[in-house]
Amino acid sequence: MYKFLLCWRYLRTRWIALASIISVTLGVATMIVVNAVMAGFTQEMQDRIRGILSDVSFEARSFNGFRDPEYHMREIEKIVGDEIEVMTPTVTVPAMLSFQLHGEWNTRPVQLIGIPRDAMQYASKFRQYLQHPKHREQFRFELQETGYDLRDRHGGEDAPLRVRMETAGMVHRRNMIEYRRQWEQQLAGKPLPHAEQTVNDDSQPANDVVDPFAAVERPLDPFAARNDAAQADPAAPLTGCVLGIGLVSYRHNGAEHFLVLPGDDIQLTFPTAGTPPKAVSDTFTVVDLYESKMTEYDSSFIFVPLDKLQELRGMFDRESGTTFVTSIQIKLKDESRGSIVRDKLQAAFPPHFYSVSTWRDKQGPLLAAVEMETAILNMLLFLIIAVAGFGILAIFFMIVVEKTKDIGILKSLGAHGSGIMGIFLSYGLSLGLVGAGAGMVLGLLFVRHINEIRIWLGNLTGQMVFDPSIYYFYEIPTSVNPWTVAWIVIGALAIAVAASVMPALRAARLHPVEALRYE
Amino acid sequence: MNKHHSANPAGPHGPTVAPLRAQARDGASAHGQAAATTAVTTATTAAGVQRVRPATAPDHEAVAASAGGVLLKAVGLKKDYHKGKHVVPVLRGVDLEVRQGELLAVIGQSGSGKSTLLHLLATLDRPDEGEIWFNGQRIDNASTRQRDRLRNRHLGMIFQFYHLLPELTALENVLAPLMITHGFFSYRLQRRRLVERAKALLETVGLGHRLKHRPREMSGGEMQRAAIARALITEPQILLADEPTGNLDGRTGQGIMELLRSLNTQSNLTIVMVTHDSAIASQADRVVQLVDGQVSDS
Repeated sequence: MYKFLLCWRYLRTRWIALASIISVTLGVATMIVVNAVMAGFTQEMQDRIRGILSDVSFEARSFNGFRDPEYHMREIEKIVGDEIEVMTPTVTVPAMLSFQLHGEWNTRPVQLIGIPRDAMQYASKFRQYLQHPKHREQFRFELQETGYDLRDRHGGEDAPLRVRMETAGMVHRRNMIEYRRQWEQQLAGKPLPHAEQTVNDDSQPANDVVDPFAAVERPLDPFAARNDAAQADPAAPLTGCVLGIGLVSYRHNGAEHFLVLPGDDIQLTFPTAGTPPKAVSDTFTVVDLYESKMTEYDSSFIFVPLDKLQELRGMFDRESGTTFVTSIQIKLKDESRGSIVRDKLQAAFPPHFYSVSTWRDKQGPLLAAVEMETAILNMLLFLIIAVAGFGILAIFFMIVVEKTKDIGILKSLGAHGSGIMGIFLSYGLSLGLVGAGAGMVLGLLFVRHINEIRIWLGNLTGQMVFDPSIYYFYEIPTSVNPWTVAWIVIGALAIAVAASVMPALRAARLHPVEALRYE
Repeated sequence: MNKHHSANPAGPHGPTVAPLRAQARDGASAHGQAAATTAVTTATTAAGVQRVRPATAPDHEAVAASAGGVLLKAVGLKKDYHKGKHVVPVLRGVDLEVRQGELLAVIGQSGSGKSTLLHLLATLDRPDEGEIWFNGQRIDNASTRQRDRLRNRHLGMIFQFYHLLPELTALENVLAPLMITHGFFSYRLQRRRLVERAKALLETVGLGHRLKHRPREMSGGEMQRAAIARALITEPQILLADEPTGNLDGRTGQGIMELLRSLNTQSNLTIVMVTHDSAIASQADRVVQLVDGQVSDS
């Protein structure tokens, strides 16, 4: 009983001890915040990676792919049928993207992915990253009239406006064709007729929205129109494609600008499947933009319909009527069983023709790097708490020395060494509880209000603390794992108690007579 | 040597100090103690024997029935202190008997070893040689836990510097030994009764108005009274006092002495008091003088 009474009295009369615990508080709070942010970041990143990568991909090692995906899917079904939710054949091939800007052709390297037209089965999150609300419901490579998102929908009202996105879609396409027509007429020296050009446009309100400067911004290449001119309806979209948003957008003065909008045509050049491969080109109409916020994907992927790509690359066999694909994307019922499925498939198919990998394998280095960072940060922060432990140790020694006489008195009253030790151990435990508890509350509050704090800090220093244009996050993602918090608190408590063990032992071993004599 | 002191309030035929160079003839020898031939046994006067403490003594089997009322006995106690390489002998073979119900004073100069003797008797320290018997049981070689228990339940101690715990109030200080005796729940259960007892005891020592005061808010005399109450709360068989008046002025010291004396007479409390003040010592039933670590024959 006296242990608790004295421990409580010492706590109440010795505020200096609380100073030693502040470092524990700060350490615990920092650890909670860092872990929450890192976990949030990892989770967000994994979500994004999984939005595009299927759980397991079964790939040919050659760009020419393998014959008869249906047969392969049946074989896979036989081996791991129970695990599979859905399989999608795809074709992946490196390509060049070409588009016109200010009358000049821009080209850049891309990864071209052919996916089935309905795109339903392909990694389920794919549609969520499209910019048209309808496409997020259902996507069939069709161009919408208009109505593409005017802002990054993850950014809320704060997100910068997307320049000229309001006309994107068919409206933009018709406008462009109209401008082109007028341009050609001007070149031909004809006077500009004013009334007749809207006849084809079904009196769309689009013309009212037309940006008069658009033409100035993009002077048109007169030769580019030839393709369209050949069409019966010049405004009818060609085969649809989806561009990674990073390929054609940039930020300037806080606004998002686009080099290519939905409705524009682009040209894709890629190798055929023959030997030797020849380059083929075709023109596609951009029907939507893809934004997963994974820069790596957003700035390299272009999605086109699978059948069109197979046709252009010659990936079919006329005699047998079978097609070729380069990979089969497998979505599992339980993602966590990916490595088991991978191992079974690897064992069943000749490894020199096929490679099987999970999404974790593909993003292994990235995920490992984040894990490594988290581990190192945790280690460093835990060292901070350990250093705080030495502070507790020093202050406890001081208190034991100060209380030497009291210890002697207690021993003369018959208190056992273990009881004396109990006083100081429970003292350490109480301080640890206060420190770790305060740290936990502080840390959780910080995590909860991290974005307010970020904005406030930004206003205070006049500098963007977490610039969305760099990180592609509008908010710092956080995820609090209760177990992590529990372990941090337990660890801090253990350190506080461990630091009080030595002084407590010393107190317990004090010789009563010497302690009583101590002045 | 036979130094006689007529113990004043205890009665005209009060006990006399009679350290004799005679082998113990009482029951102590029956316990087969070492043949410390210098053993000093007091020639038990009639008065000393008759003062048998009422059997409030708890679990100890018999109140040293065969010892003729000897409650505490030291035989051939030796104790050295080590200061670096030097060995300083403090006690060089002390024999002492304390009888039931007497107020014994141990007098000596500074450095004569009287405090060390008291610490040994109180089991706060272990002798290098010799034996200590309490209630017919040898206690100097008992385990630490047994000695802690003995101090807690059967011995009371007061000190020159009171040694109250500064963080606790007078009442809590008095309750401290009981808190040590009882565990958390056991104390909680009996708290009301124990607190009543402590209050009553503080009332007895004249501190009924100081229950909630911290030691630093009390005078020296009050602190010593609180310390006495603390020593008595467990109803010990013997009170060991180390210079109880050493830090008090004459009048206050006299007040403490009167309190001790009245406890001695009214509750039949055995008291061993160490002092360097012969005026204080003269109020005891019996006086033993320590000179250079030995009982003096002066």
